[in-house]
Amino acid sequence: MPVRTWVQDIWRTTTARLTVLYGLIFALGILALLGVVYWQSALYLNHRADRIIKARAEVFMRAGPADLPGHIRQGLAIDGAEVNIYALFSRDGAPIVGNLGRMPPRLTPDGGTINLPPTPDFPNQARVIARRLPWGEILVVGRDVSQLVEMRGIVLEALAWSAVVIILTGFVLGAALSLDPLRRVRALQAAGREIAAGDLKQRMPVSQRHDELDMFATTVNHMIEEVERLMVEVKGATETIAHDLRTPLTRARARLSRLQHALGEDDPRAEEALWVIDEIDAALGRFTAILRISELEARHRREGFVTIDPADLARQAADLYGPLAEERGVALAALGEGAPIEADPKLLFEALSNLVDNAIKFTPSGGRVQVRAEAGPRLVVEDDGPGVPESEQASVLQRFYRGERDRLTPGSGLGLSIVQAIVRLHGFSLRLEDARPGLRVVIDCADAPVRSGHHEI
Amino acid sequence: MAQVLVIEDDDATAAEIEACLKVAGHHVRREADGEGGLKAALGGGFDAITLDRMLPGLNGLEVVGRLHAAGVFTPVLMVSALSDVDERIAGLRAGGDDYLTKPFDPGELAARLEVMLRRRGWAAQGAPALKVGDLELDLVRHSARRGDRQIELLPMEFKLLEFMVRNAGQTLSRRLIFETVWGYYFDPGTNLIEVHVSRLRKTIDGPGERPLIHTVRGQGYTIDAG
Repeated sequence: MPVRTWVQDIWRTTTARLTVLYGLIFALGILALLGVVYWQSALYLNHRADRIIKARAEVFMRAGPADLPGHIRQGLAIDGAEVNIYALFSRDGAPIVGNLGRMPPRLTPDGGTINLPPTPDFPNQARVIARRLPWGEILVVGRDVSQLVEMRGIVLEALAWSAVVIILTGFVLGAALSLDPLRRVRALQAAGREIAAGDLKQRMPVSQRHDELDMFATTVNHMIEEVERLMVEVKGATETIAHDLRTPLTRARARLSRLQHALGEDDPRAEEALWVIDEIDAALGRFTAILRISELEARHRREGFVTIDPADLARQAADLYGPLAEERGVALAALGEGAPIEADPKLLFEALSNLVDNAIKFTPSGGRVQVRAEAGPRLVVEDDGPGVPESEQASVLQRFYRGERDRLTPGSGLGLSIVQAIVRLHGFSLRLEDARPGLRVVIDCADAPVRSGHHEI
Repeated sequence: MAQVLVIEDDDATAAEIEACLKVAGHHVRREADGEGGLKAALGGGFDAITLDRMLPGLNGLEVVGRLHAAGVFTPVLMVSALSDVDERIAGLRAGGDDYLTKPFDPGELAARLEVMLRRRGWAAQGAPALKVGDLELDLVRHSARRGDRQIELLPMEFKLLEFMVRNAGQTLSRRLIFETVWGYYFDPGTNLIEVHVSRLRKTIDGPGERPLIHTVRGQGYTIDAG
């Protein structure tokens, strides 16, 4: 199986999708958590800075106009970490003393605290406040809050890393967790295909886990058991009917035959009796075919198998049906040389005869029928009659099916079923092909894969 | 006229066989189980035996086996509800001379018994002249002659003609012909045997010649100088 489909299939599984969804939800949770932490911290830091600068401004304002520049210089001198802004501006905004070269533009005296973005004078983010002094000058006090920026960086980095980890883990885990369910679904599909192909002995694999797949498989298995039981019942009923009706029909036919004989050739009633005998024969033929199929289905494979030459069978079939074909104006030929195969020669000949008989029946006068042994090895019966439309090819192989093409031709509609049963018994396969024009029926004698019993998981 | 031993546990079937064989002019004795049948058969005096495959006590195959072991080779027609080819082969291999599946037309049983008796008859007396009317078979050259006319036949045609001539006067069903001449036990479908017989008829019954091969409608074919 191509890797691409595997990958596609993995992401189609519920487990994979759920894992990724959970990862996404988890990532959103972490984003929200870190966001709240950041926001709360920022709030706290700003609040704390604001309280400090307000208190510092109070202290400075208690000094007189003469002492204040000295206080400010002293304050700056002892601020080794350079986290504070102390500045004094004249009434018209010219700097008098301090570490700010000019009045921050949005700062209004006696207003609230504002954020001051980094400037050449003070290269860090800061909170600042301005106070108008009683003698008209403006005092600006601020404090570095660059921890906030650093913290934002830390939070974003944490977010990025956790996102990478969560996404990677999610995908890896999703894939790993889906592999096993996927494998089990594949086993279920394989079993399902065999069941659909008619092997009602097959069951869905059930593990010991009792999970939802097992529940599903168990339900399906119950269904198949029921279907199998019904099939067996229907088949049993059909066989019983076929079997039980054969005895009275045979007796009736014997009586009628004696009556017809007693009436003599010229009596018109003898003609009537013959007509009824023909009808009874048709019914008996059908019953015999039904019972024949049951016998074939009940038989064990490889009993009475010998090595045979398929070309030989083809020739024998052509010999047996040659006169019939000739009478119908159909050219019948046997072709090919064969690799030997393991088969029951009588049964395989019966199958081949059925196919040849059918082909002759459906080929108009002037047509041709070939029975060939080909490399493969396979046996092929091909005619150039009307063929079977592709839409009908599957149903033709069903029991009792009589398609468009044989509505006017006598027969039980069971011939191909007998062929099918014989082919199955051998482990060969049967298929219909369009011979353009005509029908080609192929018995593929290549060794069928040995069917294992139930799949185990 | 022959002495026939019918070993059959089912009363209705036995009555049917008896009635039919009596009409054909045979003497019939019936035994209802394997032991009784074996004892009667070992006692001798029978020309043919019809033997049910499934019997209480000794089954049909065992009865044939013991008869052979005791050196009794009366021809046996096995009658069975089992139609499977394998069963037929088992029945024939065990020493049955012919095999008939239930349910059967009693006429068919009588015809098969007749064919069997004749075959046994040739074995005892050497082959009779294979002749019907002015038709003569040459078994060595596998050819036939009608009056002065030499008839060339394909191997299968000769085999079919030989079977019919050996049972001249006897109506042979299509099924009996297919089983005996071709040795296959399935339904060959569309009037296959009819075509083979009518083809043979065209060769044998030339223009202006009295027809020898006849169709018995609803039953089969027969060759008869009439």
